[in-house]
Amino acid sequence: MDPLRSIGAVASSGMQAQGERLKVVAENVANAGSTGTSPGADPYQRKTLAFEEMVDRDTGVSMVRIAALGRDQAPFGRDYDPAHPAADAEGFVKTANVNPLLEMSNMREAARSYEANLNMFETGRRMRGQMLDLLR
Amino acid sequence: MKLNSMSFFQLASQRMHWLGAHQKVVAENIANADTPGFKARSVSSFAALVDGNSGGGVKTTHVAHISGGGESAGIRVTADTAAWENSIDGNSVVLEQQTLKASEISENYQMAAQLYGKGHQLLTLAVVGQR
Repeated sequence: MDPLRSIGAVASSGMQAQGERLKVVAENVANAGSTGTSPGADPYQRKTLAFEEMVDRDTGVSMVRIAALGRDQAPFGRDYDPAHPAADAEGFVKTANVNPLLEMSNMREAARSYEANLNMFETGRRMRGQMLDLLR
Repeated sequence: MKLNSMSFFQLASQRMHWLGAHQKVVAENIANADTPGFKARSVSSFAALVDGNSGGGVKTTHVAHISGGGESAGIRVTADTAAWENSIDGNSVVLEQQTLKASEISENYQMAAQLYGKGHQLLTLAVVGQR
């Protein structure tokens, strides 16, 4: 494929991956307060995702894709709240292992990377335009 | 009249081809800026492309030889040894560095395209005598 055209494909794969990452961050933040419903039950477990390089067989350009969606194995927090439906015999409730600060910095980084890919797309488009202007 | 036989047009179109290939590699780097273990890549220099024969392909020294690779044979993609830093996950892409490269390439591309256009104007001037 013409290199200038493949820039668009590469950049959009990057944008898609970063968008997926942002979705996972949103899920984590939304569920930061989700606990179990029965006594001693596990709360929401933080989701993680990993990127991997994907070489497109037809064109040979290296794009990016989501390699794996996983769950964070970090230990849960413990809050003392005997009135809660998920409280165990000692009155402790397990809370989700979501760190809001971590999620926020993850969100910022995903947004920046998305922007970088978007700029790359725009630059590729402009270069293509300059090349096509030679026809005028 | 073949435009490519004039060294000026050939040089300009080679330059544009090389810049396009380079920009593609930068786009790949930026897309993989968060991929664990991904190493930043770069392409062989433009001088190497102009000199020919320094690409990865096999040299043709006889008329019966088949030229390998095609037009992009002279452009090799290599690991970027000038990458600024390595992150904990083994990724060596620095977004700032790649953005800098991308804008530099874009400007050079504009220059090559405009030069090509000027060459055409020059020819038109020679043929028609007026613009």
